[in-house]
Amino acid sequence: MSRLTQAGAVLPSRIVLWLFALLTVVPFGLLILTSFKSQADLMKGAFVLPPYPHFENYVNAWVDGHFSTYFTNSVLVVVPVVAISTVIGILTGFAFAFLSFPFKKGAFVILTIGMMVPSEAFIIPLYYEMLNLRLINTYWALILPQVAMSIPFATIFMASTMRQIPAELLEAAVIDGATRQHVLWGIIVPLLRPAASSLALFLFIWTWNEFLIPLILVNDDALRTLPIGMLFFQGKYTVNTPVLTAGAVIVILPIVVVYLAFQRKFIEGLTAGAAK
Amino acid sequence: MTTADSQTRPRTATAPKRARAGRQGNRVSVLDRPGPSNLLYILPGFLIYGAFVFLPILAAIGISLTDWNGISSPVFVGLDNFAKLFADDLFYKALGNNAQFILYYCVFPLLIGIVLAAILSSVGTRQRLALRTLFFLPYIMPTAVLGIIFQWLYNPAFGPFNQILKAVGLGKLALPWLGDFHFVLPAVGAVATWYFFGFCMVIFLTGIQRIDPSLHDAAKVDGARPWQSFASITAPLLLPEIRVVLLLTVIASIKSFDLIFTMTRGGPSNATLVPNIYMYQLGFQLNRFGYAAAVALIGAILVFAVNFVIHQTMQRLDKVSQ
Repeated sequence: MSRLTQAGAVLPSRIVLWLFALLTVVPFGLLILTSFKSQADLMKGAFVLPPYPHFENYVNAWVDGHFSTYFTNSVLVVVPVVAISTVIGILTGFAFAFLSFPFKKGAFVILTIGMMVPSEAFIIPLYYEMLNLRLINTYWALILPQVAMSIPFATIFMASTMRQIPAELLEAAVIDGATRQHVLWGIIVPLLRPAASSLALFLFIWTWNEFLIPLILVNDDALRTLPIGMLFFQGKYTVNTPVLTAGAVIVILPIVVVYLAFQRKFIEGLTAGAAK
Repeated sequence: MTTADSQTRPRTATAPKRARAGRQGNRVSVLDRPGPSNLLYILPGFLIYGAFVFLPILAAIGISLTDWNGISSPVFVGLDNFAKLFADDLFYKALGNNAQFILYYCVFPLLIGIVLAAILSSVGTRQRLALRTLFFLPYIMPTAVLGIIFQWLYNPAFGPFNQILKAVGLGKLALPWLGDFHFVLPAVGAVATWYFFGFCMVIFLTGIQRIDPSLHDAAKVDGARPWQSFASITAPLLLPEIRVVLLLTVIASIKSFDLIFTMTRGGPSNATLVPNIYMYQLGFQLNRFGYAAAVALIGAILVFAVNFVIHQTMQRLDKVSQ
């Protein structure tokens, strides 16, 4: 580990490291600091501490800024999307890993197409489909497309982990007379718990952060999720920066908490997939 | 939703399948019972996926061949929209901006990421893990919300960036960043660089830790300076990681929408217009849905093309370096 730790190379490289660390931290630091200021404190300078923390910014954002509604909506969308996508990922992944069915290769290609095509490319027909199904401005408009968009990744992720299970283990279970349902839910799924929770983690963050789907498919304020609510809130309250920043903290706090709790799993899960 | 990192998954999934089939002599799993009951496992997934992703993709191709305002019935015009597109100055402007954004989405994060990873691989484990967690933080954030935050940070009147510049005596540089025709693209691009460099760094860090340390020790014995050892050993061995990073960031730049939409809506005077923003304006503001679908499809085709080109180039490089 001491490849670069040689005289002369150490100090400049450490300075670079800490400079970038500072660059990463400062925007978040300013955000949190500002969310506790009053409008008057703001005029004294960006880095000046307020005399006392103004928690009322959070109350204002939560109540007057409708962030309570947006937060509830985000939870009501994220939970079903993650749960349904994970279960479907297990079922479809199981089929791709172990079962034979007609057009298996073609079905796989169709799934990967959905993974590559940006959602911007099909948002127009999706909007009209939802309009015709009378689902615009319902939770279904937010849940169904996001489940559909998660299926390719969930399937491929689950199938590739299932293939790593030793075949002998499954053979032994079948010889013992276990039914296929029992092998899947009683043996495979418990073994897959780490992979399934990584999958749920990725899906949680992507769905929490999703912007285009709620932007286009919902235009009723009562159904907006946090990122979209934030956008419209900004339109109304550009001048009230402390409340705006308090709102931003409300949006990102849950992801930061989840990220810090599972950061190892998250980083290693992402890089393991990327490095292969 | 299918964020950038998912692009490489199909390849990771096909490799083990082939290996396994070979090992087992093409024998299928004991769990397989060929017949209709197998379909029960794929039907729920494919019904939802088909209805809300795959059919809309096919429909987008259909719509791109029509003239449609969203209300009256669409009129088939063949490839007219694509022909118009290739004579549309704004579309070229959007493509040109996107090419510039690649510098900020891709080239800068890659360079910063590789240098930081090299430095970070030489510090103690504790510090390394802490800094890794920190550098990766922006990547998990909603880009739409980051756009709103940075719009405030860049604010010409009371934004902290200009306050910092004034405080350190660079008041002349305190520009209306997002309102300035020349500086808006670098200003938005800088946020993209800030968002992606930690992600690139983490991937390179994993790659560096994979490299056999004895190679570096041998180089040191031969009198190589750290920089030389980095350039001649580390960088070439990081080719797989470079490929992944290139693929993910270039595709992310083609897909870019959220960040630019929340920061500038493509303005001022189209200085940050990119194809996806143009698609949004054409479709959801001007009701030219056929034309908008054509713009969106070109974006999708670009994603496929980039995928293909990067895979091909890297395969050639792999052969050269072996």
